Amino acid sequence: MSESNFEDFVRQHRQNFEEAGPPPGVWAELEQQLAPGKKRKVIQLMGRHWLKAAAVLVLMVNSVMIYQFIQMKKAQHLTNVSPEMQEAKMYYTAQIEQRLETIKRYPDALLGLDSMARKELELRNETYQVLETELIQNPGNERIKAAMVRYYQLKLDLLDKILEELREKQPVSQKQSDYEREI
Amino acid sequence: MQASANNLNNTTITDHLVSRCKKGDVHAFRELYNAYSGAMYNICLRMTGNTADAEDTLQEAFMQIFRNIERLENAGSVTAWIKRIVVNHCLSHLRRKKVYFEEVDNIDIEEDNAIVDEDNFAWTVAAIKEAIHVLPPGYRTVLNLYIFEEYSHKEIANMLDISESTVKTQYMRAKDKVRQIIKQKNVIR
Repeated sequence: MSESNFEDFVRQHRQNFEEAGPPPGVWAELEQQLAPGKKRKVIQLMGRHWLKAAAVLVLMVNSVMIYQFIQMKKAQHLTNVSPEMQEAKMYYTAQIEQRLETIKRYPDALLGLDSMARKELELRNETYQVLETELIQNPGNERIKAAMVRYYQLKLDLLDKILEELREKQPVSQKQSDYEREI
Repeated sequence: MQASANNLNNTTITDHLVSRCKKGDVHAFRELYNAYSGAMYNICLRMTGNTADAEDTLQEAFMQIFRNIERLENAGSVTAWIKRIVVNHCLSHLRRKKVYFEEVDNIDIEEDNAIVDEDNFAWTVAAIKEAIHVLPPGYRTVLNLYIFEEYSHKEIANMLDISESTVKTQYMRAKDKVRQIIKQKNVIR
């Protein structure tokens, strides 16, 4: 076939039609684009597993909310709300528990109190819990603080009176020796 | 026997390279680019007609190649696959430049009835390149796809969304134009 035919000529000189390759800048640009491509791949993967991603996100949000709730509850503790009341509480608690221990050493018959009255003598009865909750919700309320102190003092007075009566009926020393003998 | 062993070896290398590319290995991307960028840049250069557009088109095409290589099922067809992506990007570029590939009936062609005796026509590479460069983009596209990229008339018709007969006619007319341009510019001595 003659070389003068257009198609034949092009095919036979095909390589001579080729130019040099692209300048280096083309690859440099591509290389730069390939770096954010990694990020894109992560987004694509997230898209493919969107349900799992959403579930993980919900769990994470829940965890954060539960943590914050616990932190809030901790912050609401009496120690954080009113340090001076916590101090008063510790003092009166020690005093009241000491008296209650002494009272418990006397026989029930001598004490002459039914179970309801005994419950009232306990340190953290319903009245006390109401006052403490009120103080946590209203940390700066002086009336509540005063009421709590008054509560402690009344309880102490009451316990002292009971103890006084008990001692009159049966001195503590004798009771203690009986108790020790039982052990 | 030696040739088939070389082919087998090349196939293994290509399979391995494609496999690395699918894993997102940037070094493999570089190797793939080095292997194909020369030939693909020439396609872009012929189709767009200038270096700036050729570089942009090549870059866009390779970015698509890297992003979509995981979809390539048969590593053995990687050359045809890459070439097709590059050609598609070139065609998109031409469409953005408002180059339309219309049916023959709708285009007005200045006919040159002068019959050129091909057997006595002394073609040269430089003259053909220069003539193709100044062809109208529509003609240039059909001629390039057929003679240089070696697509069939049917394949070109599908790519340009025109009939096969229109492709054949446009190719013949493009070839005539090349001859006319060479003749007019007196490039052929």
